This record gives sequence, C-alpha cells and structure tokens, in this order.
Amino acid sequence: MSKSILTRRGILAGSAALGTFAIIGRASAAKPFDPPASLVEGARKEGRMVLYTASFTETMLEVINAFNKRFPFVRVEMVRASGGQLITRVQTEAAAGKLVADVVDHSDRALMKRIEDLFADYAPPNAADYMETALISPRLWPTITPGWAIAYNSELVKNPPKNWMDLCKPEYGNAQIGEVIGPSGGTTWARIMFERQVLGEDYWAKQAAVKPRLYPSGAPLSDALVRGEVTIAPLIHNIVYPKKRDGAPLGIFFAPEGIPICPYATGIPKTAVNRNAAKLFLDWMLSDDGQTFSIADQGNLTSLKNPPAKLEGYDPTIHKLWVPDFAQSEKLHDPWLEEWNKTYGYRQ
Amino acid sequence: MSGSRRHGGCVANEVVLSRVRALRPALIPTGRGMAWLWSGLLIAVLAFLVLYPTFMLLVGALTTTNPVVEGYHLSDLSLVSFAAVIANENVYVSLANSLLACGGGTALAVAIGLAFAWIVVRTNTPWKGLISSAGMLPLFVPPLVAGVAWSILGSPKTGLLNMFLAAFGSDWRVNFYSMPGMIFVFGIYYAPYVYMFTAAALRNMDPALEEASEISGAHPVRTLWTVTFPLILPAIISGMLLSFVVMLGIYGIPAVLGVPANVSLLTTYIYALTAWSPPLYNTAAAVAVVLMAVTGALVFAQQKVLSGRSFTTVAGKAFRPRALDLGKWRFLTLGLAIVYLLVVVVLPTLALLVAAFRKFLFIRNLASLVDPRQYSLIHFQKLFENTATIDSIVNTMKVAVITAIIGGVLAFAIGYTVTRTRAPGRRTIDVIATIPVAIPGLVIGVAYLWAWIGLPGGIYGTLWILALAFVARFIPDTVKALSTSLMQIHRELEEAAWICGRGMMSTITTVVLPLARPGVVAAMTLLFILSIRELGSSLFLYSSGTMVMAVQLLGFYEGGNLGVTAAFSLVQMAILAVLITITNRLSRGASRNGVVRSG
Repeated sequence: MSKSILTRRGILAGSAALGTFAIIGRASAAKPFDPPASLVEGARKEGRMVLYTASFTETMLEVINAFNKRFPFVRVEMVRASGGQLITRVQTEAAAGKLVADVVDHSDRALMKRIEDLFADYAPPNAADYMETALISPRLWPTITPGWAIAYNSELVKNPPKNWMDLCKPEYGNAQIGEVIGPSGGTTWARIMFERQVLGEDYWAKQAAVKPRLYPSGAPLSDALVRGEVTIAPLIHNIVYPKKRDGAPLGIFFAPEGIPICPYATGIPKTAVNRNAAKLFLDWMLSDDGQTFSIADQGNLTSLKNPPAKLEGYDPTIHKLWVPDFAQSEKLHDPWLEEWNKTYGYRQ
Repeated sequence: MSGSRRHGGCVANEVVLSRVRALRPALIPTGRGMAWLWSGLLIAVLAFLVLYPTFMLLVGALTTTNPVVEGYHLSDLSLVSFAAVIANENVYVSLANSLLACGGGTALAVAIGLAFAWIVVRTNTPWKGLISSAGMLPLFVPPLVAGVAWSILGSPKTGLLNMFLAAFGSDWRVNFYSMPGMIFVFGIYYAPYVYMFTAAALRNMDPALEEASEISGAHPVRTLWTVTFPLILPAIISGMLLSFVVMLGIYGIPAVLGVPANVSLLTTYIYALTAWSPPLYNTAAAVAVVLMAVTGALVFAQQKVLSGRSFTTVAGKAFRPRALDLGKWRFLTLGLAIVYLLVVVVLPTLALLVAAFRKFLFIRNLASLVDPRQYSLIHFQKLFENTATIDSIVNTMKVAVITAIIGGVLAFAIGYTVTRTRAPGRRTIDVIATIPVAIPGLVIGVAYLWAWIGLPGGIYGTLWILALAFVARFIPDTVKALSTSLMQIHRELEEAAWICGRGMMSTITTVVLPLARPGVVAAMTLLFILSIRELGSSLFLYSSGTMVMAVQLLGFYEGGNLGVTAAFSLVQMAILAVLITITNRLSRGASRNGVVRSG
C-alpha cells in the first residue's frame, strides 16, 4: 500500500521547515559542505580530537552535536575555560611540550595573535569568502562571529529602549540595566570600543551615570535578565537567543546605530595529533553549512562576505556590522580599559 | 575503649612500663638512622607536594612572567607585582571585606557550632542522632551550590523569601546580596567545622570537673562558662581558626552573593585577576601571598594561644559524658536544632529543586511558583544529554578514591610521626604539612600546573595528577582529623606491645591502626568528600579525558544556565548523600568519634 505524502507528521515537518526558512531566510545560495574523501577517511581513522574553547560549555556542545550528526565517527573531547585561564593553560602546556589540543578556539583575537606561532598554517576551502577585516592571521579563523544586541525582560519592561543611546536615559536608571565589565574579554572589548568610537567620546560617562549593575561576564547577566534581577542588558546575541527560542520572557533587538561584532580566532596547533579530525572540524565550522548552523541555531552573525543565512531581527540594510580595527584595538586596549574602569567605578 | 581493654592483651603494669621507658633511650641510637631516613622520606614527599608548588607560587609573585613559558632567573626577580598590589587600594578594600565577612561568619559559626555540640553531647534533647547527622550536611554542599541556593532565596528583587514576605503582606525584605548576607551564609555553612572540634572535646571531657563545680554550688550556666568552655577552649579555637581559614579561601559564596552587590573579597578579586583578558596571574599570585601571610599569622597566633595548654582531658576515656536533663526545655533545644536544619538544609534544597525543575527562573508571584506548567525535566535532560556529565561523575569518583587511599596513608604516616614519635624533624614535617591550609585554592591550581607539568612519565593529563593535587591540598585537613584520633590512644598500649617483643611496624598494624580505625576512616571519608568538591586545583589540571564534577558545575554556572546548574547540584548532593550513608554503614560501630559522622 502506498503511503500518502500528506501525512500529519509530514505537514508539521514541512510547516516547521518553512517556518525556519522564513525566520532565517537565505541571504545567498549556501554551498553544501563536501570535504575531500581523503580528509574524511583520515579523520575517521583518528576517531577523536581535543577542542580547547573559551565558549560556554552548552554552546559548544551544540556545535559538537551538529558536527557529529554529519561526522559521528569523530569524538570531540572538550576542555572549556574562561578566556584568561585558557590562554595561560595553552601557553604553559605548549612551553612544557604537552599541548594536547587539536583545535584552540578563543574570543580574544588579540591574545590569540600573541601566540600565533603555536599554530600551524591552515586555511579552509572557502577562505576567499571571508571578510578581510575579520582575519588577523593566516593561521586563525573566525569560526564564530557573535554580535551585540540589546535584550530586556519582556514581562517587566513595558517601554523598552530602542537603541544604544536610550541606555543612557535616566528612566532606565536605578540598576535596571546590567552591563558586562570591560575587562571580561574580547567580545566586551569590541563593544566598549564601539561605544566610544561610534556612539561618542562621552557615551561611557552618560551610560555610567544611570548606574548600571556590573557583571563579570555575559552568561550570568543573561540569567539575571531572565530572572528579573536586571531588566535591560546589552548582551551577545548568542547568549540570549537560545533562551528566547526556548520560551524565556525576553525581547531582543539589534540597535540601529550598529552591531559590534567580535570574530573569534580559532586555529590548529602545530603539535596537534589528530590533524585530519581537527581540519575536518574547522572546515565544517567555517563552511556555509557550519555558519548556517551558527546563525540559525545559535544566534550568531558570520564573517562570511555573503551570509548563507539571515539571522532573525538582523537586517543588513538597517544594521551595520562594526568590526574593531585590530591595530587600534591593540593600541587602545590598556588605556581605554583603565578609563572604562574608572568611569564605571569598577574595581581592578 | 574501656579501662580494662586499655590494659588488656599483655600484662603491662606500671613497673614493667617504667622499665620499658628506661630501655627506650637505649633503643633510640640503633633506630636513629632509620628514624632520619623515615623523616627524610616524609620531608621529601612533602617538599614535592607542598614546598615545590608553593615555591612556584612565590616565583610567580616575584616575577612578571609565566615561569614555565619564560623560565625564571635571579635577574627576573622583582617586586613589581607586590608593588602593584600594595599600591592598589582595591586590594585593601577586598582584604578588609574578606576579614569582615569571614570574621563575622566565624563568630556566627562558633555560636551555632558550639551550641549544637552542647545540645548533641551534653543534653537529653530528643533525636540527637538525627540532629547530629543532619547538622553535618552543610559540610558536603559545595560553596557555589550554597551561594546559588541562597541567591534564589534571598535576592533583593527576585528572592523567594521576599516573594513570600510580600504575599503575606509584610514590608520587611531580605537582601542576601550584601555583606550581612555573606556573613550569614558563611556562618551557617561552616558551623560544622566548629561543631566537629567542640563535640569531640565535649565528648571526651571528664565530667568530674563539672561535677566538682556544681558540688561547690555553681549554677549550671556558670559551670558551662567557667569550667566547660574554658576546658574545651583549644578545640573552640581550633574550630574557629579552621572555619575562618576555610572561609578565607572560599570563592563560590562571595562570587554569587558579593559580586552583584559589588562587594569584592580577596577570592573573587583573585579569580577576576585570572579571568580578565589578559589574565594577571603574577598579580594574583602576589595577592595570594598576602592571603597566605594573613592565614599564616592566624595559625601562628593559634599555636601561641594553645602553647602550654594540654589535651589531657581527652587522653583517657574511662568515663561517659553526662547528659544534662533539660526537662521541658529540651523541646526548646530541639526546636532550635530544627530551625537550623530548616535554614541550612531544607530551604536551600527547596530552592534548588525549584530552579532545577522550573523551565525559567522568572517567578512573577506565588501563583506562578506553584503553576505546574512552569515545571519540566528539561534541565535534567540537558544535563544528561551531555556525555561529559557522566564522564565527570565517573572521573570524580575515581580520583576521590585514589585521593582517599593515598592521602589516608600519607596522613597516617605524618600524623603518627608527629604525634606519637620522637623522630627527628617531626616539627618541620608538621609545619610543612600545615602550609596548604594557607594557600587559596584558586591560585594553588596554577602553581600545581607550573610545578608539575614537566613531570616525567605522562602523569600530566591523567587522573593521577588531580589526585596528587588533592592529596597535597588537603594534607592539613586529613592530618588534623587523624591526629585527634591518634592522640586519644594511650601510649601505654604501644609500650605494652613493645614489651611483648613487637617491632614498630607490628605495633602500628596490630595496635595503633585498629584502635585509630575510626579516625582513619573518618579522615579518608573527609578527603573523599573534599576531593569531590574541590574546584581550585582542578581548574588547571583537568584535561579532555579527566573532567571532574566541580569543573563541570562551574562550567554550567559560568554558562548562565542556573537550571542545569541547580539540577547538577542536586545530582551531586544526592551522590554525596549516598556515599556518606555507605561510608557510615561501613564504619558503624567503630566510628563514634568520626569526623563526618559526629565530629
């Protein structure tokens, strides 16, 4: 007996697929990831790889699960640490000749640039598709490109801000706003550079005047936002997007003045043992397929010149991506952070 | 142990014993070489486990580089990091906050711990066994979990307690994101340390002294203040110092309750130094040295205070501690104990249950709190979908067993040598074995990495290096727990064995070890539990195949998922409860003075 094509499950699945398409859209025709058979076979023989990452555990597990759907024969073992701790570990292990990582993934491009000698030359098959401004070294690639959004607790905020400048309004004072501290890492540094260079020299002073509550990193701040400890917060979109997707009471928008982005720096150490598995993993992450997953499932942007998918709420005709100039970033980092700490009264 | 048993086995009267004592000096020269060898071996082990990492920490504080990456030379030594620390007023603020929070917490812990010990040991309060066991539970709760639980309960804006207060029309609100909040949580969670010491001392104290006071006409309360408490003062001071020092090194509670209020303690300050981008490990090492100096001064002060005092009241046990008949007041003491258990055990567990089963921790009102549609198993599903969760549990169990065995053997060797022999260098051994108590865990982790990464034999990246770090870190706790037990065995028993011709090893294995078994089991259990909780030394030593529960828990917390964090906390607490029950059953009947069971 032939099965009817129009089953209930089929309709639901079709609707879901259409819905997803509608949400994500397709910015350009995505090229399917088709790695060379020799690379796949090599990775299959190795069977495992070790990933050092500064990304959050759950976020990176989702990436690994997606990779394993396509390549289940590579077991990805993860070591996760905060940015500073990860760099210390990598440097110390490398100096002792005991670096076991096959891939190192970090949000702070400046710190990674300082240890680029530890990494092997590597370029993904679609290297030419990446924006030059997102690249800082031929050995390090932006597997993840998070962007800053403004989020609020939709149950508690009835008159949400509309843009970055609104975060300086006294009506959002009295610790309603939560902020991630400047020295927390590369992504926050990109935001505070954007604030000063794009929103104005006096933006920090204006914003500090409404006395935001300071948090050590974005993840606990996103949790505080959902709970209602604070009601408004500038946050990396990929932290709040999955929570909203799962039903948390959140409103999220990209501000019209611009979206500061912070492309990650990911590379394969020279000492990597499982080189094929590492290359397959990075090739996939950097491919249109990997970037589509990163955009659609994790709420990231991309450093590809032609995004393979469109992120909900992001309209390139309205929202301009802002990438920090790397040379300026290096030069301004220490003095500006010191100023930021003083302006916001953060003890360091 | 009864008096007859004390003198059982061989016939050992005072005359014979005096002959043995007379013989001992003659025996010493022949064993002198062995004694030196033994002491040298112990010192070498401790140098590797304690002095070398401490040295690396000092090198880190005295240079501006990573000692493994850049190496270290005399010319690199400078006081730049110390100068930066001394010039930074924020360090003083953090130090002052630490002293205030830990001082206040200790005062509360002493009040609760001492009261609990007195209720359990010296009164006829009902359900003492249950109170005694349940009162130790806070010891097994990781500080981060305690902080998270009290954040859910006591947040000024979203805390469940405030929600209940509002629902019942009260204008009063609690705010645990504050110094008093931290003091309260420190106090209630570290009271068991004071309880452990004071309950043991009260149990072993000769009641004749109190009886003499009462016969002389003193009121029971006056007897308590003028006889009982002064007699157990060494135990009170020891418990007080230990709880203070442990609080000084705690990160989880101030991280959750202090940071939102911008109240920085030294541990949160140190953690921030290591997590900032770029990390400032050398400055963190210098701050850690400041913390070590504070702790060292306190340990020194304790020893000064206790020098000249003796533990003679705990040497013999040919008596039973008497229980004061409280009459109807015993229900008041029972009520106090129940309130404590409610605050320390029931409320935080309920908070964790809400967080673990609720989809999102946004709770608008009481109706929303009890709305079943808001609850699900999603966080547990996420937790166990992650293969690293099970791996971390298995790894933690393995490393805790290895640590308990190696650490137990080492602690027995140290404890026996220090308390029961006249081996040369035993004072040095004692001092070195005490050092780790003064080093904050968050910094010692990187010192272990710097010190041991070059070890030959591929130990780096295995569970063994974690076990090594845990053994080193918890030597003081384990030795302390064991020494108390060893001190209670009268020397006459060993002397009797020597008369019977037994050698040193034979005496240890047939006399001392069986008698000290409760203490050994308790010390190993303590080590096992501390290993499960330990975060600081794990952070830098775990690798992809050796993830442990404490690191996994921090990963969930730092990832901003309080639901999964709470779910994993509950799993961790359940595992600990099962393990402790099993351990208690194994040592039942032998562990009346066990640290974990009764203090």
